[in-house]
Amino acid sequence: MLERITLERRADASALRSAATYGVALVVAVALSLGVIIWAGVPTGALFEELIVQVFLTPAGLARTLTQATPMMFAALAAALCLRLKFWNIGIEGQLLMGAILATTVALYDIGGPIRLPLMLAASALGGTLWIAVPALLRLRFGVSEVIVTLLLSNVAFLFLQHLLFGPFGDTSHNFPTSPVFDEMEKLFRFGFGDTHAGLILALSAVLAIAVLVHRTRFGFAARFAGDNPRAADALGFETRRVMLISILLGGAMAGLAGGVIVSGTEHRLTQAVGLNMTFNGIVIAALAGNLPLMIPVVSFFIAGLSVASASLKVFYGVSEGIVLIIQGIILLTLVTFQFAATYRVTIRGPEAA
Amino acid sequence: MTDVETARAASADAALALDVRGVSKRFGEATVLNSVDFDLRKGEVHALLGENGAGKSTLMNILTGIYAADEGQVAVYEAPARIRSPSDAVALGIGMVHQHFKLVMPFTGRENIRLAAGTARAGSDWATVDARIADVLRLTGLEVDLDVSVSALSVAERQRIEILKALTLGAEILILDEPTAVLTDQEAERLLGLMRDLAGAGHAIVFITHKLREVMAAGDRVSTLRQGRMVMRGRAVTEVTSQALSVAMIGEQETTPIARGASTLGAPLLQVQDLSVRKEGVGVVDGVTLTVHSGEIVGLAGVGGNGQRELAEAVLGLIPSTGSIVLHGSALTDGTVSDRRAQGMRYVPADRTGHALSPNSSLAENLAAAAVRTGQLGHMLISIHAILGFARRLIDAFGIAGATAGGRRPVRLLSGGNAQKSVLARELDDAARLIIAHSPTRGLDVAACRFVHDRLIEATARGAGVLLISEDLEEILALSDHIHVISRGRLATTENAKPGREDIGALMLGHA
Amino acid sequence: MIEFLTAWLGSLPGFMTPLLLASLGLLFCERAGVLNLGVEGVMALGAMTGAVVVLAGFGTWIALAAATLAAIAVSIPFMLAVIVFRAPQIPAGLALVAIGLGLSEALGRDAAHKPFSGLQALPWPDALVELPLVGRMLFEQDAIVILALVLAVIAARGLFQTPQGLRLRAVGEDPATADAAGVDVQLYQIVAVVIGSALIGLAGAYLSVGGSQIWTEGMVAGRGWISLALVVFAQWMPIRAILGAILFGGAEALIPRLQALGLEVPVYFLSMTPYLLTIGVLLILSLGTRTAQSEPGFLGRAYIRQDR
Repeated sequence: MLERITLERRADASALRSAATYGVALVVAVALSLGVIIWAGVPTGALFEELIVQVFLTPAGLARTLTQATPMMFAALAAALCLRLKFWNIGIEGQLLMGAILATTVALYDIGGPIRLPLMLAASALGGTLWIAVPALLRLRFGVSEVIVTLLLSNVAFLFLQHLLFGPFGDTSHNFPTSPVFDEMEKLFRFGFGDTHAGLILALSAVLAIAVLVHRTRFGFAARFAGDNPRAADALGFETRRVMLISILLGGAMAGLAGGVIVSGTEHRLTQAVGLNMTFNGIVIAALAGNLPLMIPVVSFFIAGLSVASASLKVFYGVSEGIVLIIQGIILLTLVTFQFAATYRVTIRGPEAA
Repeated sequence: MTDVETARAASADAALALDVRGVSKRFGEATVLNSVDFDLRKGEVHALLGENGAGKSTLMNILTGIYAADEGQVAVYEAPARIRSPSDAVALGIGMVHQHFKLVMPFTGRENIRLAAGTARAGSDWATVDARIADVLRLTGLEVDLDVSVSALSVAERQRIEILKALTLGAEILILDEPTAVLTDQEAERLLGLMRDLAGAGHAIVFITHKLREVMAAGDRVSTLRQGRMVMRGRAVTEVTSQALSVAMIGEQETTPIARGASTLGAPLLQVQDLSVRKEGVGVVDGVTLTVHSGEIVGLAGVGGNGQRELAEAVLGLIPSTGSIVLHGSALTDGTVSDRRAQGMRYVPADRTGHALSPNSSLAENLAAAAVRTGQLGHMLISIHAILGFARRLIDAFGIAGATAGGRRPVRLLSGGNAQKSVLARELDDAARLIIAHSPTRGLDVAACRFVHDRLIEATARGAGVLLISEDLEEILALSDHIHVISRGRLATTENAKPGREDIGALMLGHA
Repeated sequence: MIEFLTAWLGSLPGFMTPLLLASLGLLFCERAGVLNLGVEGVMALGAMTGAVVVLAGFGTWIALAAATLAAIAVSIPFMLAVIVFRAPQIPAGLALVAIGLGLSEALGRDAAHKPFSGLQALPWPDALVELPLVGRMLFEQDAIVILALVLAVIAARGLFQTPQGLRLRAVGEDPATADAAGVDVQLYQIVAVVIGSALIGLAGAYLSVGGSQIWTEGMVAGRGWISLALVVFAQWMPIRAILGAILFGGAEALIPRLQALGLEVPVYFLSMTPYLLTIGVLLILSLGTRTAQSEPGFLGRAYIRQDR
């Protein structure tokens, strides 16, 4: 039916073509997104004000954007580290939740004395690592697809979270499923600029550290080679399996840290909403950033801006928060669909075969 | 009447099932088939010989509608035919059993045949197909379990299903591509018998093989393709000698070995003893013993698919094997790839994008990969500067073209020849002691071939040893000090360390 | 005890049906090689559409049909991306989840939390309904429950006993061989995803129009993800999907029953059982021999015809 239109892998795919394709995809995605926003009831005249000014150009908006971007950067690092190795980490939210839970445990049980806050963060990283270790090992040892397992464990983590919030971690002073508020020493330092907190510094440091790791270390080199062509990496003597496992575990740690900074930095307690949409955020940001660590802060900034804008759009124009999801979906779908243009050439075959 | 019925009606009278005249085919610059004539009689088994790359597959692909010929005509049962697609071929009664079976593994044999029979043709409902299967089984006496998953069947049984499939689809002309390559001797006997039975029943069989014994045992006539030309056409098997066949297949021209100066062989470098590799219960490499000395090029000739790849990978340590491997005095049988490379083992694989290069990494990174791994360019942190500098030297020394921006562009953008040069540049470093080169010049032009050969010889002058595995007999003869032939995973060696073409050809033909 | 069991069994089909329908839909897609991660979003859209249409005054059956059509419509970009343009299936599926969830939230706002009258149970005589233990389970159910079971049987028959089913399975196992045999790979994949989306949309609609007879955000509550797990658990066989849906649905149905008894039930741990069960099954299967795995051979991969 559509077989006369065949796709052949391009041999001449150049950096220029890839960049051009990315640019076109971005333009189309933004155009569609703006279309959705207008359809949702935002007058065209207000677009610039709401999407740019209020979000980036006012102190309050900027502060909110930076605060929201902070955990997103960690989530995107988690996605990128795994995606570079073609390991589909659909369970970022679950790893984040386990990180948040372990950090909360340290806080609520007052473990660690003077080093409580660092301990909380370390615990959150550990939580994420442990939660990704199961699908990682299942995949590397037994070849079990990580797509389903990370997904399932993410749901399990959410159920566990609810169990804790409605149970042992619940704040009995009110009826909502949240933990008690953390003590002062359990909160990340606030800059006084809105809600922005030291987690931002942590996130940027993590981005830098991962960037160095990926681009400037032997380990990162091995990971890149292994992710691109594991057989060639094997033939060169690289320890492909070990490198992949460590990278994936590191990704889990990043997701856990996302949870850690949310509970200790933004929320100051554990709630049901800590991980909301974070798997998706992480994957969209990583995809837009081309899995490059240094691009992640920039992209996170804009995706966070989208999220902040939607909150105010809801208040002023009655736009549902579902709009953000729709837009993120459109962006991701557009991006991966255009990827094909960079990799394949469309040819239309005539009636004569070959 | 359907096409098949027309064909069958015609075949009742026609003596010539196929008449191919002047068929040529070009792919880009290369002429793969050059004015080929070929005829196939009803009721005969016609053997078709030829080395890899001689053009046999292309000719068969034209007959089965996968390619279109650039020139020439094909007549089927003495009526001119235009075969534009696989379904045209099937309609004309031409069926083929490929080397790589076209079967859906989890399905049963019956389901596979129903699938193949099923698209948009009259009489393709399951009842009709099943009835026809029963007919064919009765007429041929073929025995195979059709209602068990194909994955549970042996290779020989799967092949029988492929044959059954072709016959059920109405094939009067049956092409079998190297069918005995995957069979044991006993199974091969059965197959040859089946071919003769089918011929006796009026089918016309084209039997592609490189095994002399089978040609003699089962063939009526034999033709030979060499480098796109039909050099022996339809000679009766009773009238040809094995020598004549060998000459036809490989040619008579003597290859002058490349002058290597005083090639003094040094101490034994690589000693492989009784190496075996098993895959799914089959011994793909079977008790191989060989030695490569310092300064020596050991050539391993043989038709592709006889265990060459597995042998190379086993020596390098990529796949598990039994037997012993000693390199430069170190027993490396249990060593990792890393250990073996540390002792100087290097690998230039047949499939460079598969096993040697990371396509999306830059040329510079690919060139520097081994050095990065050993820590030569930095233990924890590596500097881009050092990588580029390292790569620059290699790019200049090896004349790798297409290395713009100092080698920063992804290596998949390089041409085949330059990609191969890159692999060589990396693998033939100063510390290289034992180089496993598998089809190192496949797909390269003449200049690039020369380059590769020169570099390999240069390495031996430095004291390295080369295990050259190749399907290109010219290459083996030109470069090797010592030649083995690999067939079905086993080594065949003559007493003469450097056997001549005839002997090699005979070994490759399976006639020791 | 009898009362408890009767109540539990009586509620079981209601929990089984959406899971069964959704996993049948997924099964069709996956048998053709398409991994449709978008199921959670498409179900949400189906649930919302069903509720909105009923609240707008149309009948329940029209609502169900509308939900089915909506599901197919929202899946069209996914189909184009993945089947025609060979975009990677996993991110495309995730995008579909987001679009589906977002649309259902945005369009369903006005319909939220408004109860309505949806599917009614089939009118069997009271005597049958009051049979001990199985009375309510068998005779107090709506027509969709029966439809789901019938569809499962039809799916089994269709996939394994018809030429079209054979070709669809061939497309998912080995598209190159199917292509060589003359099967139109893309056409079969599109048909599979259309059928799949329809069933998934129906599953979602059943949640609102059938079960709770109300629409709230987040009412799908992970059942889409569970269905993905269910397909694996059922090893891509429709009849086993019935058993899996009964098992998973039964566990889900147990929770409110136990709570009604006033028991201190670790509700959330109970809810984890389907997920943990599936992981266990995956592990056991991977430890076994290769032939035990019956995942469609080319699932999740894009087929591009090589130069023949």
